[in-house]
Amino acid sequence: MNLVVLIKRVPDTETRIQIKEGKVVTDGISWIISPYDEYAVEEALRINEKLGGGKVTLLCLGPNDAKETIRKGLALGADDAVHLNDPAFGNGDATVTAKVLAAALKKMQYDFVLAGKQAVDEDNAQVAVRVAELLDLPHVNSVIKLELAADKQSAQCTREVDGDRDVATTTLPAIITAQQGLNEPRYPSLKGIMGAKKKPIVDWKAADLGLDPATLSAKLETVRVDPPPARPPGKKLAGDAATAAKELVRLLREEAKVI
Amino acid sequence: MEFGLSEEQKLLLESVRDFIVKELQPLEEQVETKGYLEPAQAKAIFEKSKALGFYAMNVPEEFGGGGLSALDTIMTEEQFGHTSDILIRRAFGNVYEVLFKCTAAQCQRWLLPCVQGARTCSIAITEPGAGSDDAAIKTRAVKAGDGWRLSGGKHFISDGLYSDFFVVSAVTDPNAGSRGISLFLVDKDSPGFTVGRNQLMMGQVGTSCVEIFFDDIQLSPENLLGQEGQGRKLVLETLGRVRLGQVGARAVGKSAKLLELMTNYANERKQFGQAIGQFQLIQQMIADSAIEINAARYLLYRAAWEIDQGRDAREWIPMVKVHAAETLGRVADRAVQVFGGMGWCKDLPIERLYRDARIYRIYDGTSEIHRTVVAREVLKKGAALFDVI
Repeated sequence: MNLVVLIKRVPDTETRIQIKEGKVVTDGISWIISPYDEYAVEEALRINEKLGGGKVTLLCLGPNDAKETIRKGLALGADDAVHLNDPAFGNGDATVTAKVLAAALKKMQYDFVLAGKQAVDEDNAQVAVRVAELLDLPHVNSVIKLELAADKQSAQCTREVDGDRDVATTTLPAIITAQQGLNEPRYPSLKGIMGAKKKPIVDWKAADLGLDPATLSAKLETVRVDPPPARPPGKKLAGDAATAAKELVRLLREEAKVI
Repeated sequence: MEFGLSEEQKLLLESVRDFIVKELQPLEEQVETKGYLEPAQAKAIFEKSKALGFYAMNVPEEFGGGGLSALDTIMTEEQFGHTSDILIRRAFGNVYEVLFKCTAAQCQRWLLPCVQGARTCSIAITEPGAGSDDAAIKTRAVKAGDGWRLSGGKHFISDGLYSDFFVVSAVTDPNAGSRGISLFLVDKDSPGFTVGRNQLMMGQVGTSCVEIFFDDIQLSPENLLGQEGQGRKLVLETLGRVRLGQVGARAVGKSAKLLELMTNYANERKQFGQAIGQFQLIQQMIADSAIEINAARYLLYRAAWEIDQGRDAREWIPMVKVHAAETLGRVADRAVQVFGGMGWCKDLPIERLYRDARIYRIYDGTSEIHRTVVAREVLKKGAALFDVI
């Protein structure tokens, strides 16, 4: 099948986030494919490996440096990529990003689209859903199991809901987003790494998508960026087990207000 | 002059590191406690790595290997330094470059199965009376018909319990001095071959080090590796690559891993109301380690680059061996110091890494021997060995 996977370049999850003058400092940090997007890439590769054919195309919006991230996706086994690479896309929020991705997908041939449920940088969890709405496609989010129907016209998607499973069937094309547990992503192989450079990456700018840069201003204004508050120190309950348990119940009820 | 990594190099090193961190490092403590790697785990990591093309990456593609350049091989070896010896052997293979001298017939029997991971080879040169003085070996191959009869023994043979064939150095002409030594491919199941004690060592737990004995083993012409009398030259060549990759590069990788552990700890550990990394005496240990690691790494890459230029790097390799091994020794020592009591305690891997580090200044030629070689070359060739023009 022709599958498109949306991928985003994000700071390595082990990065120590530093904030300077109201912005996250991005100098000198290492970048990765957002981990949820890696599940999506892996699932697309597995689907086509199982079907014994087809094509996996990566679609990535990001600056020049995102090429490196795209190349990793190609090393994993994707066949080609489209890089939405235009400074006009650079200051976008989820609204703009979705608009650009939707415009790109309109130009592409695909059976369905996979993406991560959210990018681990800003954790918006909006883009894939917005793209689906803009393209008037069905969408199923946070999927941990994906089964194609024999006729490949629909897919059964399993999701986790409060200790149970929710199974949704969608017609295709659709946009399906990956949750942890969908699969175990592979490592890029030596052959994949050495072959990645030969795989085509097409750059599209606003003009290629028929988008007017003036319409690409963010709807979201960032007023301030603050690190999360430091975790308060833990509390040690004194006394024997009976006393401590009694005190714990009191604290859970009166202080934490969870029981 | 280009110091950056290519896109492929970066991806390869990231991918190998990722594999090491997720698949190999979690097994390290278990190997240390049990004293060996479970065969089922050895098989599992071999199969995973092989499927990714990470096994025998140093071997040319014509023999079924990964076909990496010397520099790329050395950079992957540096990554291998982030885990322990036995896990490297099983996951990535230890296919010695000397096996590339195999004839077509020998390739079928020894090299190709080795690249496939179906057979494993150990180098058997060291004897109780012949360490750095490797020409002083007593193992003897006496001409018999069109072949030889091999007698003698070796010790400290790394991975010898597991390996099923050995590259053995033996005297074929006692009157020809170092030109009277030849190399033989000797199968473990040859009649007359016995494995002696597993010699327990200070570190690198999990990699066996054994004595092996040859009691009048019949060798055919096919057992001879390279030409008769060429053994010493082949030994020096192959040990050059071992010193660069398995010693120099891995020492740099191990040093980098130790410095990472030290740095994290110095940032987290608080005494007197602040992180110990704020104390200047701790900072000195971190600064010196970073400086020495970078110096060792770029010396290492330079030596590997020489090999890719078609030169043998014989003047560079001893410098790398000394500097990388001694850097590791100092960094490991500082790591124990920065971690304090926790560096001495078996609850953390620091004490294990400290013990593992000690051998680097000894095996494959002591620091003293390599310094002697460096000095001799410098005295002979002068500025060519330390000046840029």
